[in-house]
Order: sequence, then structure tokens, then C-alpha cells
Amino acid sequence: MSEAAQDAVVRLAGIRNCFGAECVHDGLDLALPPGRITALVGGSGSGKTVLLRTLTMLREPNAGAVELFGIDTRRCGERRRQALRRAIGVLFQGGALFTALTVLENVMLPLREHTRLRGIHLAELAMSKVLLAGLPAGSAGKYPAELSGGMVKRAALARALALDPRLLVLDEPTSGLDPISAAGFDALIRELTDSLDLTVIQATHDLDSIWRGSDQVAFLARKRVLALGSAAELARRDEPELAAYFRGSRSAEYAKLHADLSWEE
Amino acid sequence: MTVAVGGSWVLATLATTVPSAPETGETPGTLRLVGGAETIDSAGALALARLLADWEEQGWHVETTDLSPAQRKLVERLGSRLPEMRLPQPRREGVLARIGRATVDKLVEANAFLAFVGELVSRGGRHLMLPWRVRWREVVAEVEAAGLRALGIVGLLSFLVGMVMAYQAGATLQDYGANVLIVNLVGIITLREMGPLLTAIIVAGRTGSSYTAQLGTMRITEEIDALRAIGIPPFEILILPKVIALILVMPLLAVFANLMGLLGGAVVAASRFEVSFAVYFDRLPEVVSLTTLMLGLVKMPVFAIVIALIGCMQGMRVAGSALAVGRATTVSVVQATFLVIVIDAMFSVLFNLLGY
Repeated sequence: MSEAAQDAVVRLAGIRNCFGAECVHDGLDLALPPGRITALVGGSGSGKTVLLRTLTMLREPNAGAVELFGIDTRRCGERRRQALRRAIGVLFQGGALFTALTVLENVMLPLREHTRLRGIHLAELAMSKVLLAGLPAGSAGKYPAELSGGMVKRAALARALALDPRLLVLDEPTSGLDPISAAGFDALIRELTDSLDLTVIQATHDLDSIWRGSDQVAFLARKRVLALGSAAELARRDEPELAAYFRGSRSAEYAKLHADLSWEE
Repeated sequence: MTVAVGGSWVLATLATTVPSAPETGETPGTLRLVGGAETIDSAGALALARLLADWEEQGWHVETTDLSPAQRKLVERLGSRLPEMRLPQPRREGVLARIGRATVDKLVEANAFLAFVGELVSRGGRHLMLPWRVRWREVVAEVEAAGLRALGIVGLLSFLVGMVMAYQAGATLQDYGANVLIVNLVGIITLREMGPLLTAIIVAGRTGSSYTAQLGTMRITEEIDALRAIGIPPFEILILPKVIALILVMPLLAVFANLMGLLGGAVVAASRFEVSFAVYFDRLPEVVSLTTLMLGLVKMPVFAIVIALIGCMQGMRVAGSALAVGRATTVSVVQATFLVIVIDAMFSVLFNLLGY
């Protein structure tokens, strides 16, 4: 095993996830190096969300090991698993904000539950996360139903960041955002990764996020991580799935731009 | 002056409150931070930024050059946004404002109900002229859910209430040796009031609430909007079938409730008060007439419309959150039960004036 994989934040080994007779993952391995942004890429139904649920311990894999921060999740008790969960911030696809609470209350909820901070300090820290996620201060008192799609994503990010996680898991963070907001979100994730020393994995379809917003790309196909590397590296590979994904009409422009590749000529 | 920074500034070790910067007693000048936190997260950085801001307020010029670039950047970033983190104080409304708001809410609610009734009459009327336009498949499904599946609970509760009435009537009548009059009391009260009212209250709690929850959830998940966009009026496919189904099913449920109530009375009369089944059912037709039955049943379609409309209206008015669905369901049951009893009382007064 390479040195980078030794101190991996997350290490998945031999993961199998099945729904009835149907398996979405079989013998899947993946390691996330610390401080990097990894894009999880693959066609619809390739099991991106299932994989994220597996590595956040929301789903028990049918087989295989999930190792978080060097701890095997199968071999530790509920208390330890809770501690591990606190070190992971999750942004769900639809935001999953609690609709009965305001944005600020949503962010305060994990803080109140897991820290000793109270009163004004609690609110202030929550407020700093709201601002950190790029929301205007005025939106803190709003309910999720009053927010636009982009603001919901940012509010959900603020909640995911509440406990200063070491690992940030994002499920399609830029889907449904306009290109400008999406680019802003990518930049925000990059900035947070650098300043807060985060490790990030994001499932995404956004070509900008894949080519510019990530350090490495994990490509899901054939029920496993078919390829792991930079987008430019993957674009040079010859497997039909990768070729279709990275040299297809929409990706070709990016490939030309970023990988100096042009097949059409 | 120099201030040493050390240790770990992380969320897990932060106490309940962040201390404010101590007064040094010296004349403010330049204050230099030396060392650096072993570990720092954004909560710790915020606490540090808050301290620095306090010192600066006291007139110190704070130098942070000694901190590592990453720590400095984090602290400065959070520090620059401190003023924005001041929480807006929520404005409290006065008593008068709350009374006013509650009044307006009630008026709006009443208005919405009237509008809903209007829509039912105008649209429903048109559909009754063209019965093939009614979605009978949905009607049948609603009949099954609201009628067939309610038989058990309606039957059991009516039976029990019939028993209870017979006990109370029997205990009093026994003293006068008029045991046989149990039939009169149980028969008339069951057919005219208890059967229909009990049915209506059960349906309001069971079916009216499910209408609200269903439509409310569909509102939140935008299914109602999707129906509109596809070109299917939600009123036609969701609301009208429910109203029609309840109008069809509630008189039948009431008949069933009557039957079970009378049976419950008969069981107690026979077992405790020496009024045999033969005597009970022999006497029943003499003391209750078809009119007695009909006076009870004639109320059912009115109850049906009220329950279905309130259930649907509250569901369609849901906006925003999962919480709103729960709230609307409560309101729906309370309003429907309330109106059912009020309308029942009005019927009693009306029948009394008409001489029944």
C-alpha cells in the first residue's frame, strides 16, 4: 500500500452493498488522503449516494470494512461510533434541514447537543458558521421553506460544519444551483478545506466541480472504484466507461482545456 | 506587552462561556501574541478573535505576526466578521397585536372555508350534471378506506355506548319496575343521536385527519402543483371523490352504528335487567318508527360534507414544513368535531321546532 493510503482519513476495503439480489457495489476499495477534495463520479444508479451512506455509517455494508480516521467501525461500540460521527459533517442531497427550525437553530442543534457552549456564545458560534457558509446574516432567522435552493445548500453546509468536522461528505452539493452559485460553492469548499484542514468527498455530476473543484476523482463503475486519479489522468484512460464519461460531448471541452487532449482532430 | 497563546483551542475543550479580555491595568500600547495554539478549530479561532476584539476595544494595538499563517488567517477572517454575528433581538408582540392577529387569522380561515364551499358547489354541481366526468375509481377507493375499513371501530364503539346507555337507563328504571322502558330510551337515543353523532366523530378523527395529512404532505412535496401542471385539477381527482365518498358512506356507517348500539343495549337489557331479546326486539318497532331512523340519518350527508371539506381545506392550506402538516391535522380534527356537534345541536333545535 502506498504511503498516502497509510494515513488515509477514510479507507474502504472490499465493500459490498446489495439490495435484495441486486448488488451496487462488490469488492469496492477506496482511500481518501487527508486534506484533499475527492470527487465521487459515476453514472446515475452507480451507487454514489449508497457509498456515501456507507462511509458515514448510515448504512451497514453487506460485506467489507469501513475504516474512519484509522478506526475500524465494525470493531467499535456505539459510543465510539458516535464520536466518529461527530467528526463527520454531512450535506445531504436535499439539504435535510429541519423544517421546524430556523437556519440558526439548525446549526445550533448539533452544537447544543455535543458541546458545553451555551447562550450567546453558542448562538455566536453558530452565526459564524452561517457566515462562513456564505449566507448573509439576515438569513439566519429564516425557516428553510423561505430559502432559495442555493441558500438551502449553504445552510446545510453551515450545519455540516457546526462541529468542526475533519471529514466533510457532500452529496451533490452543486446540483440545482446556477453556474455562478455553483462556482461560488466550489470556491467556498476549497477555501474551507484549506483553512479548516478538512478532507472532502463529494458526489457530483457537475463538470466544473470535477475538473476544477477537486484534487482527485474516484470513478464508480462495474460495482467498484474503476479508476482513481486527477480528472486529466482519467480522461486519458481507455476503459469504455471512462472514455464515454470524460470524452463525451460535454466533457470533451474540459478535456481539451485542462488535459491538452483532443481526439476529434 | 506580550501575551502567550498555547494549548488547544478546540470546540471539545471550550467551556460554557468564552472569557472576555482581562483589564491589564497598564496604559494600552502594543500587544503582541506569542507562541501559537497547538491545535485550533473555527470555534477556538472565534474565541481568540473575540478576545482580540475586546483588547482592541480597550485601546491595545494587537500584533498577531507570531501566529502561524494558517492560524492568523482563520482568526482574522472570523474577526473581520464579528460585527455581523451580533444576533438580531427578536421583536416581541404586544397583547393587542396578538389578539388582532388571531382575529384576522380566524376571519381568513372562515373566508377560506366559504371559498371552499363555493368551489365545491360550483365545480361539484357541474360534475353532478355530467356524472361520467366524476372519477369513480377514486370514489370507490375512498369508500373502501373511509367506510369498509371503519366498520370495526364504528361497530365496537357503538356497541359499547349502547351497553353503557342500557346500564344507566336500567339502573334508574329498575327502581320503578319499568325495566322494559330501556327499549324506548336506548332505541330513541341511539337512532336519533348517538349512532349518527358517534359515527361522525369517529369519521372526523379517523378520516378527516387522514385527508388533511395526505393533502398537506402532497402540498409540501409539490405533488399538488405537479397535478396542476399535468392538467389534472386537484379538486377533481383529490377532493371531489372524497366528498362524494363520505356522502355515500356516512349514512351507511350510521345505520351500522345504530344496529350495533341497539345490540349492545339488548345484551345488557337481557343479562342484567330481565328484558329478553324477544321482548326487546318485539317492543323496538313499537317505540321507534321509520321517522326516528330518518331523523338521525338525514344529518349524515351534512356531517359528511363538513368533515370532508374541513379535512381537505386544512390540507390544501398547508405551507412550508413538516410541522405545518401536524398542526393542520390537529386543527382539522378539532374544527370538524366542533362543527359536527354544533350542527347536531342545531338539528335538534330545528326538529323540535318542527314538532318531531
